[in-house]
Amino acid sequence: MNSLERVLATVTGADADYQPFTMLLSLYGASLIKSDTYSYYRDPERWAEGQYAVVNTFDPDIVITPFSFAIEAEAFGSEMVFLNKYAPNVRKPIISNLAQIDSLPGPDFEKSQSIQFFLKGTDFLAEKYKGTRAIASPIHSPADLPALLMGIEMWIDTLLFHPEDVAKIMKKTIDHFVRLGNEFIERGATFLIVPVNFTTPMIITERIFAQLIPYLHEAFRQIKGPIVIHNGGAKLIPFIDRFAKLPNVIAFVLEPTESFNEARRIIGDDLVLMGNFDGPNSVNLSIEKANEVTLKILNNRKEDKHFIFATSNADIPYDTPVETIKAVVDTIRGFKKYGEDGSSESEVRRSAL
Amino acid sequence: MDAKKKQEIIARLINDGEKDKAVQLLAAWSEQTSFRDVIFNVLEPMLVSWGKLWMQGKLSLAHGYLSGKVAEEFYLVAAKNPEFNSSMAKTKGTIILGNVEDDFHPLGRRLVGIYAQTAGWNIIDLGTDVPAELFVEKAIECQADIIAVSAMMFTTAKNILKVRQELEKHNLSGKIKLAVGGAIFKLRPEMVAEVGGDGTADTAIEAPDLFADLLLKNEL
Repeated sequence: MNSLERVLATVTGADADYQPFTMLLSLYGASLIKSDTYSYYRDPERWAEGQYAVVNTFDPDIVITPFSFAIEAEAFGSEMVFLNKYAPNVRKPIISNLAQIDSLPGPDFEKSQSIQFFLKGTDFLAEKYKGTRAIASPIHSPADLPALLMGIEMWIDTLLFHPEDVAKIMKKTIDHFVRLGNEFIERGATFLIVPVNFTTPMIITERIFAQLIPYLHEAFRQIKGPIVIHNGGAKLIPFIDRFAKLPNVIAFVLEPTESFNEARRIIGDDLVLMGNFDGPNSVNLSIEKANEVTLKILNNRKEDKHFIFATSNADIPYDTPVETIKAVVDTIRGFKKYGEDGSSESEVRRSAL
Repeated sequence: MDAKKKQEIIARLINDGEKDKAVQLLAAWSEQTSFRDVIFNVLEPMLVSWGKLWMQGKLSLAHGYLSGKVAEEFYLVAAKNPEFNSSMAKTKGTIILGNVEDDFHPLGRRLVGIYAQTAGWNIIDLGTDVPAELFVEKAIECQADIIAVSAMMFTTAKNILKVRQELEKHNLSGKIKLAVGGAIFKLRPEMVAEVGGDGTADTAIEAPDLFADLLLKNEL
């Protein structure tokens, strides 16, 4: 069974040889190849070198194409700042008043350095891993992108008081989401991974979320592949029932403090659950603690065939010791989730009784 | 109607997104009692209670923003009332507030301003991307007690050091306190000292207490 087959087995609930996993090691590739972050996030070939190093070192079942909120916002004209040992960030949003929405051009896919970085990075991974590993392409939710384009304060204000401007900007971000998302799929992505940082109860009210659902439905239904909803550092469960009903959604990455059992109670047994190892906190963990946290998650989901171990929240930090990440990987690979014939241990026990 | 009931009504209106109705009702109650009474017995306790709920993850940032807008617009109404202005003439102190040079993330700063103003501080808000020289120039001009500087990211937080250097240049360190805040200081608390800050607060709701502590240090 290769990594792709292992991941696909979780979608159907079929038996696998062992527990599939992935980790958000987008930034960490720079650390492995000792790259500065500027060239790493500008040159797709350099970025791909980092990801090859990630695969060679940790052997994840899912590889992840370039992940950067800021670069996607840059494609619309937002100013970006490069940070040593961190992923880039948005320095200044492109929209400073709502009148600018009308004249906001969508990215030119052929000429935009930012879009080309995403697409060429995807090409490099697809060329090397298509058919053997699952390839996940992170892309901004169309309902989150406005927060980067105009800043969170203006976006909240727009959502609360200017529904006509919400419609205008959502038209632009949906067009972009559908085009870029389908481009990723056509170039080899197995699925899209959509962080919803700004579409969570930490940021917006239920009333606002209800206002955004039709836009998300319109965007997601046009994607020609599966979609994974990522917590983005916030809690998902309060809104998970409505996300689960959106077209093409097949999985959720939960936040580290959220309960898989609670999520299962709400969405049922068929959708895939992923997470919930705190990626950014891995830098603070001893090897023993990393093992302990990993095992706790694995044991919690031992009976769950629709589960993929994954890091939650943002990137694993640049300075995280390789040994810590390897300890997590070794614990996953050594975990006996399935019996010799691929059935889960509990099934083996049940049949013996 | 008692103050508790009024707080509940305003909270419900804000929760329903009815900003204008909330402001109108606060103004109407102020006519019956006074603006001062409504601010200190209705608005401030409600904002503090919501701030606590937000810290517990029970309310969204949008709730916080909306309550801030209600407070802001109500203050504009109150500012036109001469009796209110004379009753508020004695403030706890003056604070120069702004996002540091190169920082364009205003939400946290605005919430600090609203909470501090509601708690009785005179707030002079300079907005985003404020050069160090302007912070100090305004502080001297307004005889401020505190300069409060907000920065979200590591790169922009480092610019706060320029405010400290500017205070040093004018021999004002110790006389005007430097409060710092923003996401980066929660992530890396050691940066408060690195950028020359005299103190920080984790959330906007805790900022008035920080300012009170710093003022006390100024007086000692």
